[in-house]
Order: sequence, then C-alpha cells, then structure tokens
Amino acid sequence: MSNSQSTPDWLNKLEEQSRISQQAFIDNISTRLRRPRMTEAPDHPYRGTPAFWSEFEWDSQQRIDKFTTHFQEVGGHVVRLQTMEQAAGFIADHAVQMNARYLIRQQQLELAELRLEERLPDVQISSWNSDPDEAWKARAAEADIGVVMADGAAAYTGTVMVTSAPHQGRSVSLLPTVCIVILPVDRLYTRLGELLIPMDEIGRENLPAGMHFISGPSRSSDIENDLTIGVHGPGIIYTLLVG
Amino acid sequence: MKVSLFITCLSDAIYPRVGEAMVRLLAAHGVQLDFPPVQTCCGQPSYNSGYWEETRTAAKTILKAFESSDFVVSPSGSCTYMVHHYPELFKDDPYWLKLAHELEAKTYEFTQFLVQVLGITDVGAHFPYKVTYHPSCHGSRLLGVKEEPIALLSQVRGLELVPLPFAEDCCGFGGTFAVKMSDISGAMVEEKVDHIKETEAQVLVGLDMACLMNIAGNLRHRGEQVRVMHLAELLYEGVGVS
Amino acid sequence: MNPAQSTQGTVKERAGVALNNDFLRNAVKFTTERLRSGKQAASAEHGNWEEWRERGRQIRLHTIAHLDYYLNLFVDNARKNGVHVHFAPDTAAATDIVMTIARNKQAESVVKSKSMVSEELHINRALELAGIETIESDLGEYIIQLAGEGPSHIVIPAIHKNRYQIAELLSEDAGEELPPDTTILAGYVRRKLREKFLGADIGMTGCNFAIAETGSMVLFENEGNARMVTTLPKTQITLMGMERIIPSWEDLEVMATLLPRSATGQRLTMYMSGITGPKRTADGDGPEEMHIIIVDNGRSEQLGDSEFQELLNCIRCGACLNVCPVYRHIGGHSYGGTYSGPIGAVLTPALNRNVAEWDDIANASSLCGACSEACPVKIPLHDMLVYLRRRKVERGHGNRWEALGMKGFAVLMANSKRLNLALKMGRIAQKPVVHNKGITLKIGPLKGWNTYRVTSPIADHSFRENWQELSEDTRRTARPMNAETWDRMEQILRQRRASGIQGGHHE
Repeated sequence: MSNSQSTPDWLNKLEEQSRISQQAFIDNISTRLRRPRMTEAPDHPYRGTPAFWSEFEWDSQQRIDKFTTHFQEVGGHVVRLQTMEQAAGFIADHAVQMNARYLIRQQQLELAELRLEERLPDVQISSWNSDPDEAWKARAAEADIGVVMADGAAAYTGTVMVTSAPHQGRSVSLLPTVCIVILPVDRLYTRLGELLIPMDEIGRENLPAGMHFISGPSRSSDIENDLTIGVHGPGIIYTLLVG
Repeated sequence: MKVSLFITCLSDAIYPRVGEAMVRLLAAHGVQLDFPPVQTCCGQPSYNSGYWEETRTAAKTILKAFESSDFVVSPSGSCTYMVHHYPELFKDDPYWLKLAHELEAKTYEFTQFLVQVLGITDVGAHFPYKVTYHPSCHGSRLLGVKEEPIALLSQVRGLELVPLPFAEDCCGFGGTFAVKMSDISGAMVEEKVDHIKETEAQVLVGLDMACLMNIAGNLRHRGEQVRVMHLAELLYEGVGVS
Repeated sequence: MNPAQSTQGTVKERAGVALNNDFLRNAVKFTTERLRSGKQAASAEHGNWEEWRERGRQIRLHTIAHLDYYLNLFVDNARKNGVHVHFAPDTAAATDIVMTIARNKQAESVVKSKSMVSEELHINRALELAGIETIESDLGEYIIQLAGEGPSHIVIPAIHKNRYQIAELLSEDAGEELPPDTTILAGYVRRKLREKFLGADIGMTGCNFAIAETGSMVLFENEGNARMVTTLPKTQITLMGMERIIPSWEDLEVMATLLPRSATGQRLTMYMSGITGPKRTADGDGPEEMHIIIVDNGRSEQLGDSEFQELLNCIRCGACLNVCPVYRHIGGHSYGGTYSGPIGAVLTPALNRNVAEWDDIANASSLCGACSEACPVKIPLHDMLVYLRRRKVERGHGNRWEALGMKGFAVLMANSKRLNLALKMGRIAQKPVVHNKGITLKIGPLKGWNTYRVTSPIADHSFRENWQELSEDTRRTARPMNAETWDRMEQILRQRRASGIQGGHHE
C-alpha cells in the first residue's frame, strides 16, 4: 500500500471483498478455458516486435533528421542547438517574444543551470515542487510556458518521453500553453521499443508513477473532421535538440 | 486428366452463356471440361443465413459431383470460397470430411485456373472498349484472387482498363442481405453504380455473376447503357471463337 | 430529438431513418473515408503490415489463452504499486463499486476521459442520479453528452453532428452565442474544461492496455484530456475490460504500432501515458488514491468458445467501422448498442448473451469481409456474424418463413432433376412478369430488391439443358492440350498427392 497512514474502513472492506472476488474471478477464467489454474509464466514465443524490426536502427544523423521531420509533420517545432547555453538563450528569447508572464520548469539541476530567472527578470519563474506550501497545479495552470527535460526520445515515431518524480511534475508538460522540451541528442533512439524495453528491465518497483510519450501538440478532429490544435494539452510544443 | 465444370446455380439458371464461354475458351486451349450433372448449388444462401443442415444437403451434391475430378473450375469466387467451408460443415462426418478436404484442394476460380494452373495470361483476345473491373469481395479478399484478372485483362488487345474508384467496396449483394436489408443493399449498389459512371466505361467486367447481376440490375433501373460481362464472356467474345 | 439517436425498433427501422438523413450519411462517409485511407497510407508507409498483424494477433491470442495467469499477475502487481483493484462481474457490480467510492470520497464532481466500458455501464447516469456532476472531457464525448446521446463511432463519437449543431449545443452550454468555427468552439471547451479538471474530485478513465508484468495501465489519446484526468484530481477510478491485458512493455510496442495506424492513420497518438500506481509520496501531482475496476460484463462468456474467444483480441481501434460499407451508410446509432460497426454487430450479442434480441444486427452485413481484412489483430468478424446467425437458428429463434424457405431450398437442391424441373416451372411462371427481358415486379421478396433494380429472368434454356449440344460441339472443334500445359497440371497433381490429399481421377 502506498499510504502508510491507516486506511479508512470502507476501503478496507472493499479490499477484503476484492481479494475474495479475485479468486472467483480468476478461477472462472480457468474453468472456462477448461484447464486448471495456470500459475507459472507460460512460454511467450511471440514476445515483442518481429525480429526484423528489433534489428532496425538509424545512425545519429538519421535519427535527428527523422525525429525532426516526424515531430514537425504533426505541428510540433524542433530546434537544433549545440549547447544548453543556447537552449537557455532560445527559451529566453521566446518568452520575451510571446510576452510570457509566467514560466514553470521542472526542479532539475540542468534546468536550474539555464539561469532563466536571471535572463527573464520580468517573468514569474517557478520551479516545480520547490516549495511545499505552493499550489503547484495552479502554478502550472497559469503558466504560459512549461520547460522540461526529456528522459528519452524515439525518432521513428517522433516522440519525446518525460517521467514523473518528486521534482518532475506531470503538469509541467501538460498545463501551460507552450511546452518546451530539452532533449540531449544522446537520448534520442530510433525505435519506441528502445524506450519501452528498459521499463521491463528496471522492474515494477522502479517505475515512475507517470511516463508520458509526447509526439506533438494536443489536437482533435472531432468537429466535422476539422483539425484543431491545442484542445486540452499544449498547442505549441518545442523540442530543443541539444548536443 | 479430368477437369470438371462447377457451373454454380446462378450461371446454370440465369446466365448459361457464362458457362458456355468458359467451356469454349478452355476447349480452345486443349482443356475439355466435363459437367457432372448431379451438382445443384454450393449452399451459400443457406450457409450465410445460418441454416447449416440445409447447406449440407446442397453441399453433398457438389461433393458427389466432383469426387473423381482432378480439377474443378468455377465461374464464381464466392462459390469457390464456399467449398472452403465444407470441412467445417462436415467435421463430424469422416466420409464427407475426406471428400471436402479433397475438393478444397482441387477447386479453382476461373482466372485462378487459367493463370495458376494453365499458366495462361494471353488468350489472344481483342476487345477494343473502355472497361472497368469490379473485384468481388469473396473472390478477392477471401480467396485471394487479385492479380490474375488484371493479368488477363492487361493482355487483351485494344482494351482500355480504367480503375474503378473504391473498387474493393462491396456491391451490396450479400445474398439474402439484399432482400432482408434491401434499403441498405440498395444504397450500396447505387454507390457502386455511381462510381462506375464516374469511369465512363462502356463495359463493367467481373468474376462473379451474383455481384454482376446485382449491379446490372441497378444499371438497368437507372437506364444506364453500360454493358455488364463476366470475364469469361469478355475473353470469349474477344477471341471471336464461334 | 436527433432521429439517428433513437434506439426504438429494429436495426432495419433505425437504418431506414439513418439512410434518409443525408447529412449523417455524408458525414459518416467523409469521416470513414478519411480514416480508412489514413490507415492504408500509414500501414503502407510502415511496411510489412501483414507480419505486424500476425504478431499482434499472436500476442493477443496468447494473452487471452492464458488470461488467468496474466490477469492475476496484473492484479497482484497493481496492488503492490498501491492501486486498489476491484472486480465487477457485471454492470450492477461495477456501478456499485464506483458509487461506493464516490460516496465515501464525498465527491461532487467527476471528470471523465474516453471509456467505452463506462458507456457499457451507463455510469454517467448513475452518478448524475446521485447528484454528482459528471463531465466528459474528450471533445467529441463532451458534445454528445450535451446532446444527451451515445457515441456513434468508437473513435470519433460525434461524427454524426455538423458544426452548426455543435455550435448550438455549445452556445447553450456557454450561455452565449458561439459561431460555428472549429477553433472558437474548441477554445471554449478547453477553457470550460480546464476549470473542471482542476476542480474535480474524481478522475475516471478507461484503459487501452494493462501491462501484466508491472501492473501498469496505458492510455492513448490526442487531446491531452486523459492526462488531465489522471494528473489533477485526487482520486482516480479506471474502468478496465478484463481482456485488455498484454504481458510486457515490449509487447506494447506492437500494439502502439497497430492501434494508432488502424484507428486514425497516425504513427502514434500525440500522447501515450504509462501509469504505474498512484502518485509517489513526494510527487507534486497525480492521484493520491487510485482504483482499477476490472469489468467482466459478458467477456468471460467468450472464453472456451472456439468460435468467439478471438473476439477478446479486439483493441478497439475502429478500423472495422471505417471500412464497413453498411456502417458507412447507416452510422453508429443504427446498431442500437454501445459498440457499433462490425465489432459491435458481434460484440453486442456476445456480451449480452442474448442472441435472439440482437439478431437484427447480425443480419445487417453483406459478409464482404472488409472488416476482417482491416482488423489489425485479424479477428474473423465476418465468420463470427455467420456463427451468430447459425446460433440463432439453432436456438429456435429463426424467422419462421425464412426457415420454411430454407427447407424448400434444401429439398430443391438435394436432387438435380428436381432442380431442373423447378427451373422449367419457374420459366413458365415468370412469363407474365417478364417485360423486355427484365422483371420489375415489386411484391413479396422482390419488393425491396426491385425498388433499386430490374431483375434478370430465368434463361430460356439452363446451362445443363444445353450441355449435351455444347459438349458435342466443343469436342468437334477442340484443340489438343499442349505438352507444357499437360506437364504443369501433372506437376500440380503430384504435389497434391505428396501433401497427402488423395482423390481425383487417376489415369
């Protein structure tokens, strides 16, 4: 259980119920499949992608080019930079251009080192979860720009991956109008699987609560098939490819 | 070498000229078709509606008819595909099941027979018209007949093959569907004919008389002058064998 | 009241209404064409599509065949992650659990992201009856919620509404006039829902896939509302069909390849989220309390049924809807249940265990097979429709007249001489109604058929009647077979015998 505090009675009751139900529920499956309960992991000969796919790989430049093409095709923006210093410069310029009043970033060392607070004295800059008394979701909601580091990326699908942690809020890449993702080039892989397979490898207990694979700006075609960008999530998303 | 004709009830009763075209065309290539008369119907109509007992009755005439044949040729993809259901229908009857497996292995749709078995794509036909082709659902999707008709049509001299928009869309026949859900079926065949009109083709060619009958019915209803032909008829006319 | 939305009457009646609704037909046609060509382009661009389909099929077959193992593994792992897992054999049980949670959390509002299971349960109604504000956050779902309707397509729920209708609905919601402009309408919904996301007590979601080995759940979306629903409210309730499991993250790559391409022609949806348990203690967002309710509601009935177990492979992509010519003409509401299109035609009777009532739907198909061809996990839907029809007949719910007709068919077809006689009689009988080589008579079974067609009459002489003459004539003019052809045919016969299939004429 995640809560170390005592669980309320009603929840305990549901818990008890659930454990009894589990037995019946699973037994029902085995019965219908006309065999005894399977308790050992079965052989899974078709696990994962076909063999020809797992061997598929692009070189570094191809990855950069393809990621850029794919991300931009769906309305995202990609900027190729060499250093974090340049990234900081880009963010500052952009914030000024946009007349941004609020900016929120993850509470990460690399982002602190961008010294955005110095570069943008007129912008209210907050660092996720840096103050226990702050209403962080509200801060993220009012932000014009959210700045995050990507934990990984896949060129084939044009996807960046961000994960949750005490100092990394899911809201930072979700609530602001504009999202800026800084992606160190050495974290850019070819296939989505290269980001997923490590999740199997690091094990259940080490997974973050939220892993988000972002492949472009929020969109919908629900109204008469007319595409609209920025429905709930950020309508403007930048990936700064650094390194 | 016994090569038998599986005429299909539709061609037998309403479009005998399709069967005739097949027989004459194949005869010109040295294949003398024989016709076992005990055959009646493959059983599709009852099978599709869920009446499998009745289907077995009809299917047995087909199994009996071709018991001693080496090859069986049919002018219909859907009837040919129906034969693939026979093992399932007779799974509890070892005698008929054996015949069913054998029949499945030796039955061919007309273009499959020409191209795969005889190795022929050029029958020496001349047919100088604008033609569009409707690939019937069962034949193309389920039986896998895709390249053979195109290969045959492309060798016909003077023939201008115009692609049919959304060709793979169902024409709306579906057997009893056309009667039970007549308005939906009607909407589908009207759409199919709209696409045919777009091509401005003079001739619509196909591989299955069920679809062609359905489409021809709507064409006539709308006073359209497009000629509807089975590929066997087209090739036979093109060869001019009298 | 939108005529396309009535659930009265039979499929045929509802379809009739839909067919007369030009806007609906055009809207459905336009959207499904866009989606299916998107899918074709995306799968062609990716390449080796058949191999991917087979892979997807094998992974799903394997998981379902060992569902007791994998579901149990998932539950144990989810619990270890801190998730409260519940089991609901049916709608009533699921509703009860949801209401218990909502009541005890003293919830005043629930914000929802897309969940077909929640539609199955009609959970919104239960919540609203208890005075709990329930808001759909997916743009299409929000719109139909305002209209009081169910979704008409698995992926694009408001496909049947035009922008004017949508503008009207949203204007009423806003309390001010909104123009029929997509950007403005979507902008209004974004603003309105922001408040709801931030203020809701409970976030309710569906589940695209659950990863057994880590007890995680995965959501695919384009708007970002599912992320909102799983990030902002303090309590999360996820409704999950018991079959939505895959073993590992590695297997997810296959699903992530098949699902978006099949559904909307995208390489990947804008957001794919993997959620493993509630927020960690020090996290600044994410739910403090997370519940997953595993729903059966007729799914386990398909297990052990060799004809329908594969139904559980379904990944709810909607590709079958987009290629179905029937769906294209009649739209989703004509199907009368939560699920529409080919998958709905099979799933609804299967889940409801009541073949008799839902027969109508199984008949609304020409069995063209486009659905099976489109299905990324190769479910043989067109075969399943025939099985449904057969079961209905076997259970004695067949149409009496049709049954009689089929018996007549069998009697006729049992004997070729009988058939020949019938054709002769038919020829005589049709004489009065054949004009200009066509029949336009519109009575009995010909009524519907001849509304759209001129029927070809029975030929003057059947093929079998002409056979004698034809056979003699061709024998006279026949050419001999060339040696090459003979060899080819012999070769085929040899191969056939070698593979163990005997039979045929041996010279």
